[in-house]
Amino acid sequence: MPDGPLIVQSDKTLLLEVDHPRAEEARRAIAPFAELERAPEHMHTYRVTPLGLWNARAAGHDAEQVVNALITYSRYAVPHALLVDVADTMDRYGRLTLEKDDEHGLVLRTTDRPVLEEVLRHKKIKPLVGDRIDDDRVVVHPSERGHLKQELLKVGWPAEDEAGYVDGEAHRIDLDQDGWSLRPYQQQAVDGFWHGGSGVVVLPCGAGKTLVGAGAMAQAKATTLILVTNTVSARQWRDELVKRTSLTADEIGEYSGARKEVRPVTIATYQVLTTKRKGAYTHLDLLDARDWGLIVYDEVHLLPAPIFRMTADLQARRRLGLTATLVREDGREADVFSLIGPKRYDAPWKDIEAQGYIAPADCVEVRVTLPNSERLAYATAEAEDRYRLASCTPAKNPVIERIVKRHQGEPTLVIGQYLDQLDELAGRLGAQVITGQTSVTERQKLFQAFRTGEIDLLVVSKVANFSIDLPEASVAIQVSGTFGSRQEEAQRLGRVLRPKGDGRTAHFYTVVSRDTVDAEFAAHRQRFLAEQGYAYRIIDADDLT
Amino acid sequence: MPTSSNAATDVADSAAPQPVRSLADDIRGRTDDELRELLQRRPDLARPAPADLTSLAARASTRASVHRALDSLDRAHLQVLEVAALQLGALDEGLLLTHLGGPDEHSDGPSGEPGMGDRVRGLLHSLWSSALLWRGADGLHVTRTAVEALGPHIAGLGPAAAEVRGTTPAALADPARLDALLASAPEPARAILDRLTWGPPLAVPPTHGAAGKVAEGARWLLTEGLLLAVSADQVVLPREVGLRLRGGRLHRDLLLGPPAVQGRSHDAPVVDSAAGQQVSDLLVLVDELAAEWGPRPPRVLRAGGLAVRDLRRLAQVLDVPERRAAFVAEVALDAGLVGDDGSLEPVWAPTPAYDDWQQLPGASRWARLAQAWLVSTRASHLVGGTPPGGSGTVNALGPDVSWPPARGLRRDVLGELERLPEGTAPERESVVQALRWRRPRRLPPTVDAVVAAVAEEAEWLGVTGRGALSHAGRALLADADADRLAAAMHAHLPAPVEHVLLQADLTAIAPGPLEGGLAQFMRLVADVESRGGATVYRFTPDSVRRCLDAGWSVDQVLAALTDASHTPLPQPLDYLVRDVARRHGQTRVGSVGSYVRCDDEATLTAMLADRALSPLQLRKIAPTVLVSPVGAPTALDFLRDAGYAPAAESAEGGLLVPTTGHHRTPPRRSQPTPTIHTVDDDLARTLVGALRAGEEAAAYQRAELASRPGPPLPSTDPTTTLAVLREAAADRQGVWIGYSDAAGGVQRMLFYPERVEGGRVHGTADGTARTLSIHRVTGASAN
Repeated sequence: MPDGPLIVQSDKTLLLEVDHPRAEEARRAIAPFAELERAPEHMHTYRVTPLGLWNARAAGHDAEQVVNALITYSRYAVPHALLVDVADTMDRYGRLTLEKDDEHGLVLRTTDRPVLEEVLRHKKIKPLVGDRIDDDRVVVHPSERGHLKQELLKVGWPAEDEAGYVDGEAHRIDLDQDGWSLRPYQQQAVDGFWHGGSGVVVLPCGAGKTLVGAGAMAQAKATTLILVTNTVSARQWRDELVKRTSLTADEIGEYSGARKEVRPVTIATYQVLTTKRKGAYTHLDLLDARDWGLIVYDEVHLLPAPIFRMTADLQARRRLGLTATLVREDGREADVFSLIGPKRYDAPWKDIEAQGYIAPADCVEVRVTLPNSERLAYATAEAEDRYRLASCTPAKNPVIERIVKRHQGEPTLVIGQYLDQLDELAGRLGAQVITGQTSVTERQKLFQAFRTGEIDLLVVSKVANFSIDLPEASVAIQVSGTFGSRQEEAQRLGRVLRPKGDGRTAHFYTVVSRDTVDAEFAAHRQRFLAEQGYAYRIIDADDLT
Repeated sequence: MPTSSNAATDVADSAAPQPVRSLADDIRGRTDDELRELLQRRPDLARPAPADLTSLAARASTRASVHRALDSLDRAHLQVLEVAALQLGALDEGLLLTHLGGPDEHSDGPSGEPGMGDRVRGLLHSLWSSALLWRGADGLHVTRTAVEALGPHIAGLGPAAAEVRGTTPAALADPARLDALLASAPEPARAILDRLTWGPPLAVPPTHGAAGKVAEGARWLLTEGLLLAVSADQVVLPREVGLRLRGGRLHRDLLLGPPAVQGRSHDAPVVDSAAGQQVSDLLVLVDELAAEWGPRPPRVLRAGGLAVRDLRRLAQVLDVPERRAAFVAEVALDAGLVGDDGSLEPVWAPTPAYDDWQQLPGASRWARLAQAWLVSTRASHLVGGTPPGGSGTVNALGPDVSWPPARGLRRDVLGELERLPEGTAPERESVVQALRWRRPRRLPPTVDAVVAAVAEEAEWLGVTGRGALSHAGRALLADADADRLAAAMHAHLPAPVEHVLLQADLTAIAPGPLEGGLAQFMRLVADVESRGGATVYRFTPDSVRRCLDAGWSVDQVLAALTDASHTPLPQPLDYLVRDVARRHGQTRVGSVGSYVRCDDEATLTAMLADRALSPLQLRKIAPTVLVSPVGAPTALDFLRDAGYAPAAESAEGGLLVPTTGHHRTPPRRSQPTPTIHTVDDDLARTLVGALRAGEEAAAYQRAELASRPGPPLPSTDPTTTLAVLREAAADRQGVWIGYSDAAGGVQRMLFYPERVEGGRVHGTADGTARTLSIHRVTGASAN
């Protein structure tokens, strides 16, 4: 089509012109196989990767559909080589299938003998499989189901896992949709997951991932193990489940550093699972404590490496991953694909925001000029000290005070990395600090006070990055961060993106020191936010009124 | 002249009034139209223009020309010619058809087409038109040179038994006996026959006393005369046996028609728009190559060409694989857009022609590239490989890329595409098969790679789209002029855009090809991040600084960006440009020859005002520092002359005390003095002796020449000499020739040539066998 909304680039990125009348149509057509990479105001960039194409295959799309989508919506002729490559890549998926055989148990079957020969010769794959049954099939040790999938993906022949799942121990769970209902996209996410068997649902912070988890549990109607990042998050899950489902508090157990309860629905923290004593993981028994029918991984992108290893052994159970982003700073996206499962649902933030489920945000970077004495100190500092020097400059303090004052009365979070800086700020602003050292009770008390509006200002360290629910925080001020991590930025922004009762605009400030590494890191984060489609402004501290 | 050599079959021709007994006679008898056709089929005969029909005939029967003619034959013609070459004398059409295999399931072409006989007659006529056959009164003959050129083993068939043994054994002459003999062959012998049936017909005989089944079989065959020993270590399957084993036919598969080409069909608009897209990419790549090489030209290697490292760099800049980068560079070279600047330290750089080219509309730019590519003798796919018979790698733009067969092959491959219905994208293997049929003798062993390369290049160039010839590609093959070509491509090129989309994530996207000034500006102010239908540019502090370095002011940059965009400038971009500009030029760097510093500012002010110091071009860069482009020693001299008392300063800031040592130079090397040579008595005596001897030898030679028998010998040109010798060899006649001997004298002799090959003529003179080099024969005249 000569005036389609899509432009195909030679590096396999797709540019989608968002203001085009057929943009939405095109977006839906390419979403199954292309990963949204950037979503700035005019042109969204999607990337076609082998993982993405295999995700699409796993979701039942074939190469013809993909090629057709590209040709239908592309403004210019699509390079033939790219189409061929797409077809070839997709063709690699499904040549190998893991399935259940009544006689031999778990087997790897191929529709293409040379492929099986090729992979069996691989020295990392050889030990994972057992005897050859016939030309097309080979026995797989059930314990190696996960490892095998990982290795096969590495050699470029991803296996389709059709070996099915155990049902687990049945337990009645219903959604208690009284006065609320699953939002359409949440329902789509639940359906997408359930039909796919296992996999990952990608939703922005504040878009109600917990409810997607609850929805999945109501579908499975089986005992469920929920893995979350920390205790606070575990309690929020529990509260939410009690509120939204037929489950009662007695049916939900917490398995954390503080408590070790195993109930039909058990919420465990990553930390307790990965605790080692005398070189051994002491709480691994939990995984087998019950015949779990569903395992939910909250914040999949933070899943620590040991959990991956444990997950490799849990391939017979349904697995649901929840995350705001598939991007992992450690690049283990492929492990997520092979061990948790392919992506089953994905919605770009901006779209959900447009639907009114998350608050619009105004992102501002405030640049502070270091005084001459500090510039000199900075210039002569060792490289490893520079970030700390630049980001903790006292020059930021009056600016932060001005911002806080500007938004007085609005729930405001000041977020930082360095404790002494946070303490000093808290002192100057007359606010409470929450850090890793704050006890859980104290933390919850402060959060509660913040939630009720009793206090409107909190200074928090990076413990606040994950899964704390602060429904009414509408201003976040970031004073220092973890060296420009994209993931962290997504989380922090998530703090202020929860729906506001009155539809106010959320504000997200980042205070950085001009001409230093602080500003360089900020540039990364700025790029990330702009790519996510947020209006982003840079102003000088002097221009702050 | 006596009757022709094939006296046995030449019974009728003595009765004819003007018997046609040779190719020369045949050619002399052709009509103007037939001669024209001959010249068109074999263009090498026309240059230089032959003086008369005899020399035309002579030229047509030279080996080189016949080889050329054979090379241009397709398999149908070649098969018919090979079959014809089996016969001595006038062709027997019945036998011809038998050897061809007759009309059976192998003959292609559906019913309704001309019958086998007609087709073969048509092919024979066409071979006659090419003067590979000549027509005598008794029928068609294959020219001798053509038979020779086909080689000793025509279609893998051995020589006739009579050629090896002198006579044909009775067992071979009688088909019935031969069949019986073959049927009685023991198993190992049968296996050997099977191996030799379809050629090559040569084998190594078993050594004496060798045991084993194979040796037994071979011995049986030799005993029965089914294998003949041609030398101590070679045996051959005689023609009679070979043909019998082949069932009387010469070729396993008779291919009188081209093989059907398999392929997929695409809609014409799809093909054309795919081609247009490729062209759009290519034009951008050429521009980027010029933009890269303009300011940073890579050097020309001493052996010519572009260094591997520079090619890799180019590929990186263009963001394409090296093969494609090499292609872009080669096409630009073919079209004269880049060149070796020919300076002392030569570099590859865009030519002035590039600047003109760049001003043309897209389609015209393409036309120039495509035309240059079509006729180029360079094969860019060789880049990165090993040069033939050499070591190392073939460098892009280097001499090894030149491979003259490339042009013909390119035409041939595209010709196959052109023959297909519109929109058909053939499979590569199928094209190779068609080429093997079309040019069985002319294909290089690397034909697969060549076809792949031509297909790839044609795709990159938009001559094909999705593997099928585009309309513009057809126009190119039809040798349309540049304007017609451009018109054919114009509609399929993506329309150029004149704006970019600026985004807050510091990218700009040109949603189509940018042209002219805007493209250059965008390349300057931002880095290209991805290419394809659109171009994605990314602004970075470095890219913006590059633009400011190039002389743009911050306001100009912002104004140009605002002009280029339909939407307002995103605030972060505006901030970035201003932020870079804020720091740009804050520190300045320059070079000076010397400085003058003095704590007393008044002294420096006085120096600035002093006219005597004006040659120093002093400039104040700080209250207490002056700088001058002149070196320190000169500056010191000037200042002292003007009455100041300056002291020199060392690099460390200390006072420099001049060294007062006297200069010394190493001694000069003495020049060799020329010696004078004189002629002494001994030398003079030797020289005179030699001169006398030379004079006597010349006199003797003159007397010798005068006493020679035979007709006077005019010096003839080599083609005529060859023709005379060939005819004489065929007719078993003697010729008088002049032959220059090793001493440089010319001997006359009556020579009986037997055969002419490889630039030599074998024959007898005075009863002894002689082999003479043709180039030493000064002249030949029939006896």
